Amino acid sequence: MRDDPIAHVLDDLMRLDDIYACIVARRNMISVMPSSEGFKPEVNQIWDVIKRAMDDVFTVIGEYSGAGLSEMEFRLQDYEVLFYVFPDTENALVAIVPALANKGLLEVEIENARREILKIMNNPTQKPNSQKKDDEVYVTA
Amino acid sequence: MISKTEAAIGMSRKWDAREAGREVAETAIKNLSRPPDFFLLFSTIHYEKYGGFEEFLDGVWDVLPKETPLVGGTVTGFMNNYGCFSRGASALAVSNPSMDIAVGVGKNTKRNPHRAARQCADMIQNRLKESPYKNKFLLNFISGPVMPSIPGLGQKKYIRSGFISKFALQALGLSQALVQKGLGREDEIFEKTVQQLPDYQMILGTSMDDYKGMKNYQFFNDKILTNAVVNLGVATDLDLDVCTTHGMKATDLHFTITKLGAGNHAICKINNKPAVPELLQLLHWPEGFLTEETMSHTILYYPISLKRHGREVPIVMPVIMKDSIVVPCIIDDGEVSILTVSGKNLINAVKENLQFFDRIQPEFGLFSACMTILQTLGHKTNIIQEELHNYFKDKSFLLFYSAGEGTYSKEKDITYANMSINTAIFGHDITKEKI
Repeated sequence: MRDDPIAHVLDDLMRLDDIYACIVARRNMISVMPSSEGFKPEVNQIWDVIKRAMDDVFTVIGEYSGAGLSEMEFRLQDYEVLFYVFPDTENALVAIVPALANKGLLEVEIENARREILKIMNNPTQKPNSQKKDDEVYVTA
Repeated sequence: MISKTEAAIGMSRKWDAREAGREVAETAIKNLSRPPDFFLLFSTIHYEKYGGFEEFLDGVWDVLPKETPLVGGTVTGFMNNYGCFSRGASALAVSNPSMDIAVGVGKNTKRNPHRAARQCADMIQNRLKESPYKNKFLLNFISGPVMPSIPGLGQKKYIRSGFISKFALQALGLSQALVQKGLGREDEIFEKTVQQLPDYQMILGTSMDDYKGMKNYQFFNDKILTNAVVNLGVATDLDLDVCTTHGMKATDLHFTITKLGAGNHAICKINNKPAVPELLQLLHWPEGFLTEETMSHTILYYPISLKRHGREVPIVMPVIMKDSIVVPCIIDDGEVSILTVSGKNLINAVKENLQFFDRIQPEFGLFSACMTILQTLGHKTNIIQEELHNYFKDKSFLLFYSAGEGTYSKEKDITYANMSINTAIFGHDITKEKI
């Protein structure tokens, strides 16, 4: 898990104040968790119920991902759970954020994470940008 | 035609401030064959917690050639040739042998905006008045709003208590003068700057944090500033133009502002009735509909178009204080139209904006856009990035999200607006070449 490049992408997301937890998961299975930081303590008390609700959402994702379902979200108490589905799979990047967060700004970075994870999935030997040396990161504009 | 202009985008997603500063400079200048003539630098607020902005700027200057004119500051997010981001740093570095550059700074913008604007514009004027290049451009980048914290309540967009609202409205001017917390007053600075430099084409942007309105920083060469205006002045033989579009549509709902307050920054009465209840009635919204939680999903989608010196000014209503609406700029009383905006309209506004530049073969572009667009569209802001990418192709562009933006040209006069896309494109007018 420690050298999993997808875990490093999740580590980057976890450093944002309003990302309380993030995982790559499918129904009944968490595939990748952040490597260096645990979830923020805010979600501990509600994790069990969120996890059960997530599994129900993954049933829907499994059913409709092939039809183009790309995002889902639900609000539970003071939290929102955002699902960014990896196309044509039953897997999603899941992020738990506070209900009153500036969600638009977070969405931008969650989408960047989804794109980066997709690249890693399609090319498993690739390192995420956060692990690359400076001169490997960007092409000429 | 062989272009003598070189422009490059710098970019860093590193968390450590020093490393990010180095990387944003390195990635920009490695794509230039000459030292940059100017370096525009924008970052999100995150580096405050990961080493601080002194470190960030030191990192930039570890790499950037000494004496390179540098201005910029913190922004809510940005987009460039590589994508859309609400965390990280980006820069636009430009080198062109036929270009004169000046940078300016003015301090205490919230306390004395006119003086700050004058100081800043004078620095540009003194440096560029002898320039042989006829096309003049100015980036007017100003410290944005900082919400004052109300004792016992903190920083709120919606205040239900009549007593606290009355106090807060009266204290707004005092807060700006004493502790420089409150509205950015960018509209006043922009107007003054235009008065000083009427021959320049201008783009206005404001410095912000991550949409919270708690703090922001401006960069001026190797200095980190707060409550400052920084200018980048360019005199060039490149063709250039500026344009503002916003995509807001008029509804058939109108009202009349009959009483203003807080130095013409607050709408206290409309149609001779307390402003907020009357607005709710016009929109058929129930009493109590607006709360701290619902504000960003409701009222921000109903901007209003009002008047300032006879010009139409479309703005959002970001703060409600019991019966009064605080607006981001100084306004005049009189007729107001309620507008509406949708994600689709915002994206169409970008297309409309770029159509204005059909005749320009671009070398590089700079944009300021309202941070509420980023907040509204979320990751669908990538659609805007794709539009810009299609227009610029391999040429560099940088858009930053701010809170109060606009453009000015002699032909179009001042356009100050919220929820707007503001463009400055430098390049070659292909219609001139045909002649």
